[in-house]
Amino acid sequence: MTTQSCNTPRYSIKEPKNLSPRIKWLRDYYFQGNKRPWNNEFVGFSTGTPWDIQYQEGNYYIVPETYTFFPTFTGAFQQVSHKVELPEGFWVWSLPERQAWFVKEVMVYYLPHEVLPHDLIAGGRFNVQTSKCFTEKEAKRYGGEVYGKKGARAAELWFHNHGYGNAGATSGHLIPDYPRILNEGWKSIHEELNRKLASLSKREYDGEKGEQIRAMLVAATMARDVAFEYSEECTRLASEETDSERKKELLKMADMLRRVPWEPAGSFWEALQSLWITHMLVMSEENYPGPGVSFGRADQYLYPFWKKSLVEDIDREFGKEILKCFWIHCNYAYDAMIRTGGNQGITAGFGQLITLSGMGKGGVDLSNDLTYAMLDVIDDLTPLLEPKPNVRLHRNSPDKLMDRVVDMISSSQGSPFLLNFDERSIAGMLREARMANAGKLINADNVFDYAPVGCLENTMCGNDRSGTVDINLNLLKAVEHTLTGGYDLIPWTDPLTGKQEQLKLWGAATGDATKFGNWDEFWNAYVKQTQAIIKRAAELYDWTDRIRAEYFRTPYLSCLVRGCIDKAKDVNRGGAELNFVTLEAVTFANTVDSMLAVKSLVYDDKDCTMQELVQALKDNWKGHEVLQARATNKTPKYGRDDDKADEMGKKVMELWTDESWKYKTSATGKQFRPGMLSWNYWVGDGYVLPASPDGRPKGRFLSNAICPCAGADTNGPTANVNSVGKVLGGKDPAGKGDWEGYMNLLPNGASHTMTFNPSLLRDEEHRTKFKAFLRSYTENGGSALQINMIDADILRDAQKNPEDYRHLLVRVTGYNAYFTAIGRELQNEIIARESHRM
Amino acid sequence: MKTDPDPDLKTDVEESSPDSISGERAIILHTQRLSTEDGPGIRTTVFFKGCPLHCAWCHNPESISSKRQVHWMEVHCIGCGICLKTCPSGCLQNKEGVIIRDRSLCQACGKCVAACPAGAQEMLGRVVGLEELLSELLKDKVYYDKSGGGVTLSGGEPLMQPKFAANLLRKLKENGVSTAVDTCGLCSTASLELVLPYTDLILYDLKEIDPERHREYTGQDNRRILDNLLFLRDYLAAHPAGTALWIRTPLIPGATANRQTVERVGKFIRDNLNGVVQRWELCAFNNLCRDKYRRLDVEWKYAVTPLLSQPELDELEQIAKQTGLNPDIISATGATRVENV
Repeated sequence: MTTQSCNTPRYSIKEPKNLSPRIKWLRDYYFQGNKRPWNNEFVGFSTGTPWDIQYQEGNYYIVPETYTFFPTFTGAFQQVSHKVELPEGFWVWSLPERQAWFVKEVMVYYLPHEVLPHDLIAGGRFNVQTSKCFTEKEAKRYGGEVYGKKGARAAELWFHNHGYGNAGATSGHLIPDYPRILNEGWKSIHEELNRKLASLSKREYDGEKGEQIRAMLVAATMARDVAFEYSEECTRLASEETDSERKKELLKMADMLRRVPWEPAGSFWEALQSLWITHMLVMSEENYPGPGVSFGRADQYLYPFWKKSLVEDIDREFGKEILKCFWIHCNYAYDAMIRTGGNQGITAGFGQLITLSGMGKGGVDLSNDLTYAMLDVIDDLTPLLEPKPNVRLHRNSPDKLMDRVVDMISSSQGSPFLLNFDERSIAGMLREARMANAGKLINADNVFDYAPVGCLENTMCGNDRSGTVDINLNLLKAVEHTLTGGYDLIPWTDPLTGKQEQLKLWGAATGDATKFGNWDEFWNAYVKQTQAIIKRAAELYDWTDRIRAEYFRTPYLSCLVRGCIDKAKDVNRGGAELNFVTLEAVTFANTVDSMLAVKSLVYDDKDCTMQELVQALKDNWKGHEVLQARATNKTPKYGRDDDKADEMGKKVMELWTDESWKYKTSATGKQFRPGMLSWNYWVGDGYVLPASPDGRPKGRFLSNAICPCAGADTNGPTANVNSVGKVLGGKDPAGKGDWEGYMNLLPNGASHTMTFNPSLLRDEEHRTKFKAFLRSYTENGGSALQINMIDADILRDAQKNPEDYRHLLVRVTGYNAYFTAIGRELQNEIIARESHRM
Repeated sequence: MKTDPDPDLKTDVEESSPDSISGERAIILHTQRLSTEDGPGIRTTVFFKGCPLHCAWCHNPESISSKRQVHWMEVHCIGCGICLKTCPSGCLQNKEGVIIRDRSLCQACGKCVAACPAGAQEMLGRVVGLEELLSELLKDKVYYDKSGGGVTLSGGEPLMQPKFAANLLRKLKENGVSTAVDTCGLCSTASLELVLPYTDLILYDLKEIDPERHREYTGQDNRRILDNLLFLRDYLAAHPAGTALWIRTPLIPGATANRQTVERVGKFIRDNLNGVVQRWELCAFNNLCRDKYRRLDVEWKYAVTPLLSQPELDELEQIAKQTGLNPDIISATGATRVENV
């Protein structure tokens, strides 16, 4: 038997390369997983009170797969927690002071400080679950808010079970002001806090502001004291070290750690050491490893150190060696639940994003030597999950960068980084400035310094918490409610008792859809239902946001976010200069295609009546296969560059985005803004949402972020890209967009994944064409693109023989995950996704 | 691909030879966007329907007839039987789940295509208006501009509908789009003259120099093809900044994939077109069209022919490079055999 190939060897799995013995050892050690003698598994710490809790489940409301484990987690962490000796007077301190002290105490005195053999960066264990330090009264009050039939947890469960999606005030997902630490040291923050404290009036000092600043003062010395412990460890290791080279390294590290991150960094090595300790402790304080705590434009702010050190103290290769150690450290976030692993890509749920390249003021390209060194590091280490690189492209990206990017895509299984597109992204940020009246903080003079967090969510750097994963709403729910007049299409059945819920009017009372005389009536009802689901999501989020603001303080992180010292307010309480929460829409393409299908089937072509359609959906298309086939194959779809279909897409987009700008959180004053993140909700929620008019049966995965429905983009990649650009607002021919001609209704940006056949990158000529494709994406496409370069045969084989494909990386829109580590449903979807031929 | 029948155009297409269709409408198969194999850069290729040759190896058999044809895509069929009930000529029959079409009865009226809910009955052939096609092609202008690409007219034989082709090319040029025509060369010289002023690149198929063999493989003599090529040479000499010329030669096992054919073609180029041809592509035999023949109820001589092996393809490329032409203009492309590993 013979098979086809297009002048390319059969696709091979990317292997790491150019690894020194040191890096090879560190990388191999990491991949030993739970067989390692050392790991960074969660460790719990308690005040020792019977009512103590460690697990902050609000963080996890956006992970519906974990709901059933909440009581287990909460109980288990308490059971296995180590007791921390409390100082006298602890219980009379304010909550933020207690929490600040407790985290610091754990990180400085309780958690061991270990340095791995050969490692050039110190900072090992950071995954902790620390006591929330509640008094009995606080614990009781908190319990009342969260548990029980009327608690937040039940509300979350209800929201998810009924197909709306999820919402929860979640940690991370921001870019701390790391450059300040590198340039000025923690001591400058400490000094500023002291000045602030001194400036408070007596009343303020005794009140909330004083509590907050005092808590921040405690937190501001945590990094210094942790670094000191590591310095001691390095000194100890050096005294036992027989290899003279290593001994020198350890002594050098010991010396550095006595200075940074308290003092400004004096060299590139110091800068990376300072950055790592500072970053790692953000994850410790939030008790959540790597939840989109992102580095921002690291190739920009680290460049002065790089340039100086290459002249003064290191060569380029050693510089990359330090970077590689730093890279491997980021991966230890995954040790948190090393024994449980995960399903459906949960193990890939970390996004310490690092941004490379991009434009500066006036559209000039800012790539520098460090940009390319970092790309080398990524290329050498791939496959490795963290930190997740994001390369910003724009009209003036140099050919040198484009060549490197395309070379790396062609030699990996997919691109080892996400691509962000500046012009469209900047248009979104400027739109946000306009909508939120934030022109002083986001404007033409600084908008270039935006960077993505988590996966692809655009924010400003150092002063912006945009809550980018906090609300994930299935737009399709509004179509369901339009068809039923505000009721669930299928009553919810409790899986434990088998008891069916009574139908209630959950949505807007828009009346019996079978009585609508024309499409406009249907559309108007849909508008009301969309408004209703957004209102419901906003109200639920408001609740979890209020709980977080009240009970969970992050004084350490607040030191790293501009605005918090000024306002003397925790970042969780709205302290950041830029305060947003992002409404991330899920099921966009299913919603658009469903609206198109209703219009075509019921009103334009009259293939069926509304009654027949609703019945078919209730029956999950069983017995209505002809209608289902028609809905699937004979109605217009988004993603084909069909102007009429895409116009519907834009209408749907404008409706829900306009609606989302109408909300603000009550406790923290956060402005809602729209986006399209993509986690894997579109897989799991396919089992929750009933059949939809676009022909999708219940149980089939939904559409992913801004991507067309799988298989719907029959006109190829350029049509797909053009459709995406159009529904984001397209371009204004007169040049009067949000940024030049560009419009972008989604300031957060939108996840767009495309899968290509590897043969399209088979030679120089085709790689040049692909480069042009990316440059065209800048003009016509969206804000963020993930490129997959995989063929279905390989994936099927990997499904059958996972042991042969342990390193096979696939991207789950915005994240990467090891293929063998994700659930079968998701695997099947990836296989089903059309592989474009070029 | 839009396949709904258009009653106004149906007669026009079916009762006229494509050549007589006014320059405002044409019958095409489809357009292929992000095409990277039909000229420089990123292109959209328009596949015209109808070809004067009937090459035994043709990998677009649906492009040979200039009439519309309907085929049944088994993989999409849900077995509803609606097509059987809709067909006015009674040409369809369900034989144990397989829809059999009596092609002597099928009028390609498109009723089953419109009625089929699953898209399993598919129309091959779409009548397009000039402006409609133009606006479709302009949607990817950014990609053409960024890549040095453009639009390629292919087929089938685009010059069987020369007025339309010329009109389309002119409009494309007016819109700043670079153009290419992929032709088999069997057309009137007048047709070539019609399109050349608006064509940046000609992709010219040169399959065999020996007239007997050419007739054997393609059903037609190659005299006109060679004459047109020489005409083209003279035209290019008279319009030096105008059109570029690429030659393409298919490498078909048992037909053209041999030393003699490649040498003959190479020498013809050397002797007649040296310095005029920018590129000579040797295109390896491709069998991905096997199912297309089955669906059109046509026996295919090459159904079980294996692909060329990489060494065979490399050898033919070497032979081509030794014909005295600048070897840099010669490249071999296409799929090769991979032994099962």
